[in-house]
Order: sequence, then C-alpha cells, then structure tokens
Amino acid sequence: MTKQQPGRLELLQGTLEMMILRTLLLGPSNGYQIAKTIEQMSNDVLQIDHGSLYPALHRLEKRGWLSAKWDTSETKRRAKYYRLTAAGRKKLITEQSKWDRLAAAIGQVMRPA
Amino acid sequence: MLSWFSRRHRQEDDIDAELRYHSEMLAQECTDDGIAPLEADLTARRKLGNATLIREEIYWMNHALYFETIWQDIIYALRTMRKNPTFTATALAALAIGIGVNSAIFSVVNAVLLRPLSYPDADRIVLLLTTSPGGRAPGGSATKFNVWREQTNIFKDISAYEYNGAQLNVTGGAYPEQIHSIRVSANYFRLLGAPIVQGRPFADDEDSPGGKHVVVLSYGLWQRRFGGDPQAVGKTISLNGVPYEVVGITGPDFNTELDSPPDIWLPLQLDPNSSDHAQYFNVIARLKPGVSTTMAEAQLQLAAAEFRAKFPNIMGPRDGFGVEPFQDALVSDVRSSLLVLVVAVILVLLIACANVANLLLVRAAGRKREIAIRAAIGAGRVRIIRQLLIESIVLATAGGALGLLLGLAGVRALLDVNPGSIPRIGVHASAIGMDWRLIVFTVCTSLLTGLLFGIVPALDVSRADVATTLKESGGRSGSGLRQNKIRALLVIGEMGLALVLLISAALLIRSFWALRNVNPGFDARNVLTLRMSLAGSRFQKTPQINQLIRDAIQRVEELPGVTRAGASYNLPLEGAFGVPFNIVGRVPTSGRYDGRGWLGVSPGYFDVFKIPVLRGRLFNDRDEAGSERVAIINQAMARQFWPHGDPLGDQVILGKGYGPEFEEPARQIIGVVGDVHDYGLNRNPLPVVYVPLTQVTDGITALAARASSLAWIVRTRVDPNSVSTQIANQLEQVTGGLPVAHIRPMDEVVGQSTARADFNMSLLTIFGCSALLLATIGIYGLMAHAVRQRTQELGIRMALGAQASQVRNMIIFQGMRLALIGIVIGIVAALALTRLIASFLFGVNARDPLVFIVVPVLLGGAALLAVGLPAIRATHIDPVDALRSE
Repeated sequence: MTKQQPGRLELLQGTLEMMILRTLLLGPSNGYQIAKTIEQMSNDVLQIDHGSLYPALHRLEKRGWLSAKWDTSETKRRAKYYRLTAAGRKKLITEQSKWDRLAAAIGQVMRPA
Repeated sequence: MLSWFSRRHRQEDDIDAELRYHSEMLAQECTDDGIAPLEADLTARRKLGNATLIREEIYWMNHALYFETIWQDIIYALRTMRKNPTFTATALAALAIGIGVNSAIFSVVNAVLLRPLSYPDADRIVLLLTTSPGGRAPGGSATKFNVWREQTNIFKDISAYEYNGAQLNVTGGAYPEQIHSIRVSANYFRLLGAPIVQGRPFADDEDSPGGKHVVVLSYGLWQRRFGGDPQAVGKTISLNGVPYEVVGITGPDFNTELDSPPDIWLPLQLDPNSSDHAQYFNVIARLKPGVSTTMAEAQLQLAAAEFRAKFPNIMGPRDGFGVEPFQDALVSDVRSSLLVLVVAVILVLLIACANVANLLLVRAAGRKREIAIRAAIGAGRVRIIRQLLIESIVLATAGGALGLLLGLAGVRALLDVNPGSIPRIGVHASAIGMDWRLIVFTVCTSLLTGLLFGIVPALDVSRADVATTLKESGGRSGSGLRQNKIRALLVIGEMGLALVLLISAALLIRSFWALRNVNPGFDARNVLTLRMSLAGSRFQKTPQINQLIRDAIQRVEELPGVTRAGASYNLPLEGAFGVPFNIVGRVPTSGRYDGRGWLGVSPGYFDVFKIPVLRGRLFNDRDEAGSERVAIINQAMARQFWPHGDPLGDQVILGKGYGPEFEEPARQIIGVVGDVHDYGLNRNPLPVVYVPLTQVTDGITALAARASSLAWIVRTRVDPNSVSTQIANQLEQVTGGLPVAHIRPMDEVVGQSTARADFNMSLLTIFGCSALLLATIGIYGLMAHAVRQRTQELGIRMALGAQASQVRNMIIFQGMRLALIGIVIGIVAALALTRLIASFLFGVNARDPLVFIVVPVLLGGAALLAVGLPAIRATHIDPVDALRSE
C-alpha cells in the first residue's frame, strides 16, 4: 500500500516491528515519539517511513504484544500511547536473540576472523 | 451490521486522530526550524504519506489478522481434538449420527421435492385434473382431452400420455425382447422440450385415428437395437409382429421423470370426435406466458360447463376441471411422509446436540485452568468464547462430513433394498446423490449444530473467575453446582425427545403390523402372477382372447405342482377399472351409480385366490359368450345396495352411457363373494362387480388390452418360483411366442403395496434406536462423571458407616429422577404431537395406551441400566483411597 520513495532505505517489516518493541522497552510512547526515538537512537542513520509505522503499530497491538491507550502528551495534546505487554516483552526477547544470531552470522560471513 | 459499521467508523476516527497528531508534531518541528507554517504543513504531510492509504492498509491488515487468528483457532481446535481421542471419538460418533440422518433425509427431500423437473421451464407445466367435492383426481379420457385441447388461450401446448403404457414384443432382429412403450399425443416431445437427436417427433396426421405406424425410439433402445445406426430413422422395427417406421430418436438425457422410463413412444391417435369416456391416460399442459394456475382453473370451469352440455350425465353438477403443477402432482403423496421423517431427524439431531454439549461441559471442567491462563495473558472473554465456539464448529464439521458420507451411503443402500415406492429417486436410487444443495445443507447444519451445542458450554466456561480458578489446585478445579444443573437439564431434554421419537416409531410399527395382519380377502401364498401384453397382437377380440385363456389354463393346469390357473386384467391390490352401473328397477338421482370396481375374470380366478363364495355360485366354463349374461358382486356391494334385500335375482347394467364400447345388456347377479382389498390394505373394500371375461364386449377387451396387460395367475402346490419357468414356457408356447414378463409371486405384490409403510417404519425405527442410544449414553455420562466428581464425598459417607447399598440407591435415585422427569415431559409432548402422524397410522390410535405404557417403561429400563453401572461402581470406592486422593 505505501509507496516506496527513491533513495530511501526500506526496512524489513520484522525489523521495524522489532525496533518498535525495543523503543517501548523505555516506557510508553506515542507514534511520533517512537519514530523520533528510532531515528535518534540510530544517530539519524535510519530514516523510517512514518506512514508505515502505524500499520506496524496496529499489527503489534492486534497480536497482543502492545496495548494502546489515549493520554495527554507533554504538549498537553491528546495522543495514543503504546505500551509493551508481557507477551510483547517475551516476543522482544526472542526477536532480539534471533537478530543477534543473524547479525553475528552475517558478520562471520562478511568479515571472517 | 450496524455495530460493524459504527465500529469501523470509530476505528477510522481513531486512526485519523492519531495521524493528525503525528502530522502536527512534524509540522511543529519544521516551524521550530523556522519554516513558514503553510510549507511546514506540506512537508509534514509528505513525510507521513497519504492518510487514507494508511487507514486502508490498517483496515485490511486487521481483517487479514482476524482470519489468521481464526485459522490459528482452528489449528488449535484440531490439536485439542487429537489430544482427547476418547472425547473426540464419542462426540464425533454422536454428531455423525445426528447430522448423518439429517443429510440422509435431506438427500431424499432434495431429489424428490426440491430438485426441479428436468424439463425447460418445468414450473409452467401442469397436470389436468377432474375436480369434485370429494377431491381432485388426475386422468383424462378422449372426450375430456378434446375439450381441454381447445383451451388455447391458457395452454401453449397440451399432450396426453398413457399412465402405464404397455410391454411390447420386439420380434425380428438378433434377439426377441419385451420393451416398455408409452403412447403419447403428437406434441408431447415439444411440450417437455425433449431433445430429438435424429429425425423428428410425431406429426399431427400420425397422431390421428388410423394414422401411420410410427415410433420414436429412446436413445437407449436406439443404441441397443440399432447399434446407434445414424441411418436408423426411416427403418422399421417389428412390434408384436407389426412393422413400425422409426421417425425420431430422443437424446440420451431426456428424462421422462416416470418411474419406469419407456423404451419407445407410439402416437396415441385419439379421435377428435370420440365419445369414449374411459380414463386411461394423463394430460399435461404448458401454460401460456402470464397465465397463472388460478386463471387456468377459472377458464377450465367454463370448459367444464361446455363438457357437461356436450355429454350430460358424465360429470356431476359440482364437478369441474382443474390444474396442478406437474412437479407437485408427481410427488404429492410422498411429501407428507417425508416431512414426518424430517421432523424425526431434527429430533435426533437435537438429542445429539444435548449429548455433545454434555460432553463439552465435562471436558470444560478439566480445561478451566487452561482457559484462565489464556484470560490472564490478555485474551478477552469474547475472544475465549470465539475460540471455544470454533472448537465446537470444527468438531461439528468433522462430524458432519462423516455423517454426510455415512448418511448418503446408508439411505442409498436402504432405498436400493426398498424403494418405498418413492417417485423420482431413479433406478436403484441413482438420483440420490451428492450435489451442491446437499453439501450446503450439511455445511449449514454442521455450523448451526456447532453453535447450538457449543454456546452453553462456551458461555459457562468463559465465565470462570481467573483468580479463583488459578488458586484452586489443578485436580479438583471441578464443575460447580450451576454446571451440574445445566447438564441435568440437558439429560432431561434428551430423555424427553427420545421418548417422543420412540413413541412415534412404536406407533408406526404397530400400524405396520396391523397392516400386515389385515385379512386381504384372498390367499396370496403359493400364487404366481405373470403379465402378458396383448396389445397389437392377434388376440384383440373377446372370443380370441377367451380361446387363448381356455387353452393356456388347460395346459398350465396339467403341469405338475399346479393346482389351478386363471386370468384377469387386474391383480388384487392393484386397483380395478372404474365403470358406472345401474340396478334394473332402480333410478338413482344422478341417473346411475358411480364407477366402482369392474373386474373381468376367468372362472379359476376365485379358486386361485381362495376368495370365498358367500351366496349363489361362481363362474364356470358354461358361462360363455352366448349363454345367460351373469355377474358376481362382492360383499361390500351387497351390503351397500341390498342392505335388507337379496341381490341374487336382481340384474345390473354396467357402463350405461359411458361410451359405445361399454353398451351392453343387463346381467343377472348369480353370486356374492368375500371382499378383497383392491384399493390397498389400509382402505375399506369398495363395491366390486366381477364379470366373466367371455362376456365382455370387444370394445372393453380392446380397451383393457391397451390400458393394461393380461395377468395370469397360477396356484401351485409347491414354491411358485420353482415352477415359474415351466409355466412361462407353456404360456409362450400356447400364445405362439408372446413373451411373459413381470413374473412375481403374489406375496411380492402384497409386499409392494406396503412398501411405503415399511420404508417409513424402518427409518423411524433406525431414528428411534439412535435416539435411545444417544439418550442412554447421555445419562450414563452424566452419572459416571458425577460419581467420579463425588468420590471424596462418597468415601466420607462410607467411612462414616453408609452401606454400599445405600450409596448405590442414592446414585440410582438421583439419576432416575432426571430420567423420569424427562420421560414424563416426553409423554406429555408425545400426547400432543403424535396426532401429526395420525394420518400415517392404521389400526392403532395416535394415543395408543399400550405404546404409551410400554415405550416409557422400555426407555426407563434403558436409563436404569445406564444409571446402574456408575452406581455399582460407586459402591466399590475405597474410603481410604478416596480420602487420600485429595
């Protein structure tokens, strides 16, 4: 559905979801904050597609890994805040370990000791 | 639907608000960087992308996820089923029975009632009827047909076809063969939209009296006799020794919807100026576009007035003509008996549902922890109910698939053995089969069944309080008081339903036996019947036929094992010709007495069937064409028309005013014989007049030969089947090669007249037994579970000194209380419901006291057995073990 823009690095879907879960480990946040956090944590290397963020958030919510609640933001505006559920925490751990193994394996291939 | 809309709207508003917030924050970011507000807004929108597209994507993703989770639930359900093989097998068996019987009966209903006739625009085809205050009857005579065919403003096409047709002998060619023929009027094929693969249908001049000898072949006969010869049209086929020209061949899929499809069609050749009132054919018509049956009936009243003016004294002043949709007419007499079976199978299904619901409740007790854990990790109640219902539906669908296969195979096997004289089921029930209607029906039934038996357990289990359940220790997370109450109610319901079914079945079984025990008025044992077609043969006139009969009877009676032989056009139980009569010296108000049974018989007829002579004498060889004209009447006629007087000495005139073929002088009544149930065992005998075959007019002989075939009847000293070949050979020899067909012992003819009752009875017996089995298993399951659940309590009772017998009686008392409540409810329901089957009963009251006592006692006995087993098991509980088990 979302259009791919030229020159932009498209993230793998699973990777975006994993990073969303990771940022929420720091505490509940809204969609805008999540996007900003990911960009800042990657030192602005990763430019995420703000539009594709929301389908991912809703999918994670439907799967029961996130719960969502409307709340007042620091700018005194109504915003939807996402929070990691117990199941989401478990999911993050398995995803993290999978990612670690994948990254290590790719590292082995690319830069053999 | 409304809630679905509002939910979708709320969701979309939610997403919009979320996206708006995001976009405003992005814009804020830009303005903070010193970009103009308008441009900041644009940048923000660009960065976020198209809001509508995002909304759509989320919407579709949600749906995909929904189906994904349903799929997960299905997989989970299958896994649960595999983990509990005993539960699954029991539930599947109950469901396969419950849904299977429904699929089986639906397959018959589908083939007989729902499946449209295989003609184009079949709903426009009607059957013509003669109506009277007493009812409506199909059938046409030449005189009626000639009036009907003038009603061109309502009928697009009209055609007559013979009821039964005749067996014709194909001579010449590679081998002789007897084939089934039906005579039809010219536009029969056009009316039914019959495909003609070669040649043409009959032309109008071929359908007139004295028209050419032409035939239309069925596809099968064309393949068989002509090897599918493309040049067959124009060739001749020899029927009973007379050459006929083949003018057309019908397509292979021309289905006549008749129970015995013809091999060949001949033109009926009705005389447009005929005064023949004999009814021996049916008339169908295709309504003109825009003409309703009501309009047609109105027009036919005018036609009836016209007919009365033309032929006074044939139809009463309150009689008329009418139409009935052809399909309804074909299936009218089977519809009500199928509906009874439909009700019966629904009862079986309800019992099966109660049974499986009970099983689920038992199993649910063991699953409380699992459900509570699911609830604890965030599954909502709706989600849990959905998952449990999906489990039920998966179970029901599996049971339904099993049931469909079993039911279809079962009903086909049953119909193959006993077609129950049900129309439209085809040869060997070939029309009963898998089609989309049956599959849709079974799927819907399975889904509904799954919801029905799953909803109560699902609501019950999902109500569980998470905290208490999880705190309880695993083993004893038992079912509460309320759950036991639901289960008790289900068992009561099962008992009640089973009783209603069993009582209905028992009433039908009693009817069947009553029917079997009716004295038919004749002795069918050791009588062989054989049919011989005389149509178109050299035996057309009365003297020739009687010479033939005399010779044949003499030859057959010389055979060893044969005691007596005779001939007639009608066998007992197969009906007789209806011919009106007058009694000399009496003038009834309508001018004559209504057409009742007329039977032409040879002298041996009464001896063969051992029909007793009550007064006077029987026919003998001296009652010849030239001697005194005689008749014998039956007891019913004597009782009705000579309640106080003596019929012997009076004279009757038969068929006066019924057409020239029937005109004959008066006959002397010479005897009274016992009644024979000619119109079926369940009907009272009607007045019948017997006349010697030697003394009937040539006209009637020709008509009888055309409308029926000659029946030979032979009483044997041995098993009639053992001498049937010799008898058939003798008959063929003496007739110079006319083949005999339809060789049946008379017992079989009697059996066929009760085939429908037999069919209904065997099905209801099967359903009743299924119900009994399911209900018994249900109450057994409940009590066995109760005993298991109360092991500890029973242990304490016994430790405190309760006798084993006390414990046993307590369990029996508790179980039997439920059974008895169910039985009482069932008796009340049955008293109200059995009148629905009253019209199928014979010789037994719908509230027959014997049935209403014996059946509840039987069901109670079965329940006692089912309750007794767990009760005895309860007495074997070791108090020490029971107390330690906690």
